Amino acid sequence: MAEAAVDTTEDQTVDTKVIKERLDLLKGGRFKMWLEICAHCGLCADSCFFYLAHDKDPKYMPSHKVMKTLGELYDKKGEVDRATLKEMAEVVYGDCTACRRCSMFCPFGIDIATMIAAGRGICCSQDLHPDGLKAAIQNYKDTGNQMAMSSEDFVETCEWMAEETEEELKGLEIPIDKQGARIMYTVNAREPKFYPQDIAEAAMIFHAARENWTMPSNGWDDTNLAMFAGDGKTMTAQVKLVYDAAERLGAENIGITE
Amino acid sequence: MLTEPVTYQDPCNISRNGGLAKQGRELVKALCTDFRDMRDNGDYNHCCGGGGGYIPMGPPFKRRRMESGRVKAEQIRETGAKTVIVPCHNCIDQIRDLNKEYDLGIKAVHFKTIIPHMMIIPDDMKHEEESE
Repeated sequence: MAEAAVDTTEDQTVDTKVIKERLDLLKGGRFKMWLEICAHCGLCADSCFFYLAHDKDPKYMPSHKVMKTLGELYDKKGEVDRATLKEMAEVVYGDCTACRRCSMFCPFGIDIATMIAAGRGICCSQDLHPDGLKAAIQNYKDTGNQMAMSSEDFVETCEWMAEETEEELKGLEIPIDKQGARIMYTVNAREPKFYPQDIAEAAMIFHAARENWTMPSNGWDDTNLAMFAGDGKTMTAQVKLVYDAAERLGAENIGITE
Repeated sequence: MLTEPVTYQDPCNISRNGGLAKQGRELVKALCTDFRDMRDNGDYNHCCGGGGGYIPMGPPFKRRRMESGRVKAEQIRETGAKTVIVPCHNCIDQIRDLNKEYDLGIKAVHFKTIIPHMMIIPDDMKHEEESE
């Protein structure tokens, strides 16, 4: 048994009213059908790398992971204690990456990852998402990027990279907040923070291709760890920040880094 | 051109969920002479094992992440590739961790790491040689 990785606090409370509301909200046609039509045929099992990497331990079967979490929440009509919810959090965050490979093999086309994501949403509503994601969410809220980088630092990093890279490619620029570009390029916040060379490399390709591109001074982080945590509100705010930047700049496309 | 054996990691968001598996391969084939696809590739490739926020969940999840990453490590090893092209920041961090954990002896790179070295630079973008 793996060591518990979520929620090391002593808090034992669960707001079952919130859980019930979420379950009701989710139980539209799709979820109801998916939970009811799973025939437990096991075809999803061999598709899952968690299952394969753990020598086919049935607890890693995708269908089991859903039944053990969202399925059980519906069975118990949301009436679960914190210890049970914590066990569920270990499964939805620690035993599935929501890669959606299992859906390729399900004869009914059940979108298992979407149900795992729903389970994450419920765990997150009770503050049971992993600490690493909590920290990132706070950074998104405070600064609009997961690394808590200021807009000034980001722009300075780009200017520094442009200066260095111009020595290799004449005329190279990293245009910030340029209006009407064909591509507004966005990055993973780890790039300006730890790997600024990544931005320089992209700039070299854009420049050599004579691309009409820009980067926004705000709304440049295209990651969304809030989505992975199950925090829909912050997830939406982060996406909106990027789209707002594209609208503000009149960009035709949003480019996303590798 | 890369001459050593090269394989390609399909990030879930780019291949299975983004529909770009074919385009990724076209680009890889333009950059190397010995491309070796993984078993279960394209839409059917496995997650790197670090997706869905698994890496930023941090150290408490690291051991589990390395254990379940065994499938990806085996996929890479089977190809005999020395370079893995990985067009995703998350996948590349995971594959570099797997490289250490499973001693794969590979180098993981983005497209943008190698393209600048291979692209044709237009003449007007070349600095004139300084003559002294």
